[in-house]
Amino acid sequence: MQHVIIGNGIAGVCAAEAIRKLDARARIVMIGDETFPPYSRPMISHVLAGDQPHDKLPIRSTRFYEELAVEPLLGRRVAAIAVDEGQVCLTDGTRVAYDRLLIASGADPRPLRAEGIELGRIFYMRTQAHARQQVAALEGARCALVLGGGLVGFKAAYGLLRRGLAVTLLISSGYPLSMQVDPTAGGMILDELVRHGLTVEVGVSVRAFEGNGTVQAAVTDAGTRLPCDLAIIGKGVLPARGFVPADRIAVDLGIMVDDHLQTSAADIYAAGDVAEAVDLARGCRWVNALWPEAAAQGRVAGFNMAGRPVVYPGSLSRNVMRIFDLDVLTVGIANPGRDEGCRIVTDGGPGLGYYRRLVLKDQRLVGAVLINRIEQGGVLRALIDNRTPLRLPPERLLAPNFNFGRLLF
Amino acid sequence: MKQVIVHPERCVGCMQCMLACATAHSRSGTLLAACQERPRPNPRIHVGAGRFNEGFPNRCRHCDPAPCQMACLAGAIYRRESTATVLVNPDRCINCASCAMACPYGVIRFHEDPLGPAGWAIAIKCDNCGARVAKGLIPACVETCKTGALTYEEMDDAMARKTRAVARSLSAPDRPAMPAGVVLLTSIKQAEMQLGER
Amino acid sequence: MFDPRDNVSVTQDANRLLAKARQDGIETVWQRHEAQQPQCGFCDMGLSCRICVMGPCRVDPFGQGPQSGVCGADADIIVARNLCRMIAAGAASHSDHGRDLVEVLAGVADGSAVGYQIRDEAKLKRLAKEYGVATADKTALAIAADLADAMMEDYGMRRKAIRLVERAPKKRRAVWEKVGLIPRGIDRETSEMMHRTHMGVDNNWQSLLLQGLRNALSDGWGGSMIATEVSDILFGVPTPRPTAVNAGVLKADQVNIVVHGHNPVVSEMVSAACQSPELLDLARAKGAVGINLVGVCCTGNELLMRRGIAMAGNHLMTELILSTGAVEMMIVDYQCIMPSVGKVACGYHTKMVSTSDKAKFPHMEHVEFHPHNAREKAMTVVRAAVENFANRKGQPFIPVEPQAAVGGFSVETIIGALGGTPAPLIDAIKAGKIRGAVGIVGCNNPKIKHDYGHVTLTRRLIENDILVVDTGCVSVATAKAGFKVPEAAAMAGPGLKEICGALGIPPVLHMGSCVDNVRILVLVSALADALGVDICDLPVAGSAPEWYSEKAVTIGVYFVASGVTTHLGPMPPIAGSMNVVNLLTEGLKDVVGASFAVEPDPEKAAVFLRNTIEGKRKALGLDWRAVV
Repeated sequence: MQHVIIGNGIAGVCAAEAIRKLDARARIVMIGDETFPPYSRPMISHVLAGDQPHDKLPIRSTRFYEELAVEPLLGRRVAAIAVDEGQVCLTDGTRVAYDRLLIASGADPRPLRAEGIELGRIFYMRTQAHARQQVAALEGARCALVLGGGLVGFKAAYGLLRRGLAVTLLISSGYPLSMQVDPTAGGMILDELVRHGLTVEVGVSVRAFEGNGTVQAAVTDAGTRLPCDLAIIGKGVLPARGFVPADRIAVDLGIMVDDHLQTSAADIYAAGDVAEAVDLARGCRWVNALWPEAAAQGRVAGFNMAGRPVVYPGSLSRNVMRIFDLDVLTVGIANPGRDEGCRIVTDGGPGLGYYRRLVLKDQRLVGAVLINRIEQGGVLRALIDNRTPLRLPPERLLAPNFNFGRLLF
Repeated sequence: MKQVIVHPERCVGCMQCMLACATAHSRSGTLLAACQERPRPNPRIHVGAGRFNEGFPNRCRHCDPAPCQMACLAGAIYRRESTATVLVNPDRCINCASCAMACPYGVIRFHEDPLGPAGWAIAIKCDNCGARVAKGLIPACVETCKTGALTYEEMDDAMARKTRAVARSLSAPDRPAMPAGVVLLTSIKQAEMQLGER
Repeated sequence: MFDPRDNVSVTQDANRLLAKARQDGIETVWQRHEAQQPQCGFCDMGLSCRICVMGPCRVDPFGQGPQSGVCGADADIIVARNLCRMIAAGAASHSDHGRDLVEVLAGVADGSAVGYQIRDEAKLKRLAKEYGVATADKTALAIAADLADAMMEDYGMRRKAIRLVERAPKKRRAVWEKVGLIPRGIDRETSEMMHRTHMGVDNNWQSLLLQGLRNALSDGWGGSMIATEVSDILFGVPTPRPTAVNAGVLKADQVNIVVHGHNPVVSEMVSAACQSPELLDLARAKGAVGINLVGVCCTGNELLMRRGIAMAGNHLMTELILSTGAVEMMIVDYQCIMPSVGKVACGYHTKMVSTSDKAKFPHMEHVEFHPHNAREKAMTVVRAAVENFANRKGQPFIPVEPQAAVGGFSVETIIGALGGTPAPLIDAIKAGKIRGAVGIVGCNNPKIKHDYGHVTLTRRLIENDILVVDTGCVSVATAKAGFKVPEAAAMAGPGLKEICGALGIPPVLHMGSCVDNVRILVLVSALADALGVDICDLPVAGSAPEWYSEKAVTIGVYFVASGVTTHLGPMPPIAGSMNVVNLLTEGLKDVVGASFAVEPDPEKAAVFLRNTIEGKRKALGLDWRAVV
């Protein structure tokens, strides 16, 4: 049996480990464009912030491939998949045959179309190379611009603030993390950043960058000049599926997978940021490009590829982060539409040092936003993940001493 | 292999296990001195209020596979097979709380640890009292519990005992499974809670 | 208990003020109660003992861990000792309150208690007669001196029996004689209780509990009774007068002063100062229309009973009323004042003043009142309150309109309303128009939704033609719920409605503060004497649906020891010994003709109390029915 895994991010790595756990003899080939040892992608924002050194990024040893008996094809990119022939075609012409294929190619930063985008000291934030370049570019940088108030942009802005730069964040909604948190929490988070010196502009788009070799200013659609000597673009990610034949493998935003992480093509699986499974809270297809999802999906895909059918019920959006004096944990749906029939209970808020928002639908928790005292957020996450019908009044979940014991009766 | 087994119906919420656990993870090793230590030692077992405000000892289950281990961004969480214990490497932990988000039981906390790196908060959770067991002692929480809510035994022995108790209660219904006083207290607490929700 | 829905009470003002308090970042009793969960089961069951340093010890209720303390005391002894110390503490509190009043009486007699006086000479003389103090050819002050002296004797070791025990029906005293329960001295019984519960003294759980009963009786027929009677002498016997209750009694345009605590020796002086022309002028000069004195808890009830002064709330309201932002000053003396209130006041402009040398609190200014300087000190603190009016921050939040009520039902008033004898009431009971009576007493407790127990139980009882008399926090709860206006008769069953209409009384009679529970003892004694029976034969019962304090334990025990079967909402810490539980809930029937019952649900409690009453009716040969 020959397994081929496209991608050496956490999804691919966990898949390889899962296959090897079940099958000591199968051949596993991993194709990845990064040559760095498997590393923790989310940790790059900690590197930017200065909390962790770059050399702490690897989470598997440099002998990972050897120890797992995986054949690595690193520094290579995929051009196409020949489904009928059962082969993966690389950009350098190589063809790799497979019996089972896992597409775990991840996602790439959504590119920004703007004049001057090729100027120096303008970065996306996705890879350890980006992190290394950004840290090097901090030398002499005083004034940074960050585009995008989503997870990437937000973490970039936070990291640069921690490094002592003057930071301006351009967001389209009224508050950052608008996909993850509700307006109250968003306001508390925004206030915390502003308190630490962040400047925020809402609804401003950049049409061009100006500079002499390296960036010196950004120009908005309205024609305003925003001086900056470093810029990070965090306007989301797009599943890297350019090489996937859409006529043979069903795609949407990402590659559509069933509850065994199999695509519409036999023996072809997908996992991680490139995959689109069902979102457990939303009840519809969704791409949740998150580290723990990629790890879990990779693992389950690997089991299935190795011949043990394991069900993957669906993905769930979730995040936890520490922002200066605020800890934020979000799970599931924070902002249901008015007609979705959801009930919302809240506690705390600005000035009270903590915040809780729970979104419920039909006796089940489908979303939670916690600010501070986040340590037991996993209990709520599990309630959402398992779609557990609540047998106690939802208000009990808000109490400061809510704990697992409250659920047993 | 012996492990700590929780019998929640016996927990009276006295929280002695929390004191013993924190003391066992202090520099000084005695309760009075431990309270004075800075950074303070912290318990890794957490007595919570159950549905009707009964006690519930919430401790790490050392899951296999462990959700915290799979979610850890820094690769800091690992499993020691010889003692079936899931542990956090204090030198690799980056205090990101991804493990807490993964843990369905809510047993992870974040503190500076008296026996860990100075000045940094890290993920703290039950370590099955490895240091004590290595010295021939039993886990601190078990040693201190006076009601039998925490035991240290083979799982098979505990399950056999439970099976016998269930069988006895079915075949001799006049021998109640729980003492009358406990049943009385529990029924009052349950009534009070339910009245409050009326 | 704490609930983010803010629905911790059946009253509007509590819920609205709690929402405001939380918005203001104020921590309240409900949050602290929640943070305590789970509360330790050893202690909850009475199975932990800290009496000596060979311990601390606990007994495992599951039978596996230790079954006795280091000294060898088993669960029965440990539970009994713990309960008895609660009784001692409660008795000590009430009795100390009585002691302070006796000191004022003595001070009035010798002229040192400036500003105090004898308001009811007739009652002075009646009490004097009971104490064997000669009244012929003596001034009131001379009688007062001798009476005070005689009452002080009741506190000591010179007597074989506390004097006012004589008030109990002969049959009741015979029961006490037989079992050895006649209380000998007020301080003596408490002292002996503390002695007996020392390690290595009384190690028989029944014997301990019997002393507990005697100790409680030394309160009910001793310290508390002296407190109430001397208060009547010094401040007047209560008569019915209109009043108002709930947070709406605070006024946006007046200087609001709240008295909290228990002893009228303080609140009466404050009341006088609030009426002084000099301070009223000062208030007007500060832009206030007047000085609005209101009370919370028992001292508030003392003022309500005698003067119709309004009450802002009961125990669980004491923090919340400060959230109105309308209180210029809260003046406290002792008992039931949560140490948190000073901290709550820090969030507002409210000045907090403690007045008793026995009771100091965090975040309070201490202005010590004694009988010789109380009048002057009262002027000082009220002046400071008036000055504080200028410091109000913004508009006060007074979320309700005040609820009218009628209080002031002393025994004298009730007998008066009945035409001078208890006969009309007895006839109504015999005829079955009124099935019986229940005294609902006691506190609030965050374990029970605030006032839910009191209001629900009261409603069920009067619906079923049972007359309710109430005191303490209960009396505020039922007044707030509208049970004490003439229209309340509509809520009563047909028989009770008729009698209330005929006598011109509400279906729920507001009898006063917690020491005024003795008024209930006097009333049932009068009924028992009129019928020639013992108290335990009467179709009466007691209930404390939401109690919290040690004083409440003592009150419950003296009610039961006096022959009144008593229901408790929350359970005392006795579940660790089924022997103790069984004695208190069953065995005591054979000893004193009454017992306890524990039931948090007021609906079920109502059924229990109704059945108790119907059972007494049957035993008396009256018509009776079974209640399901």
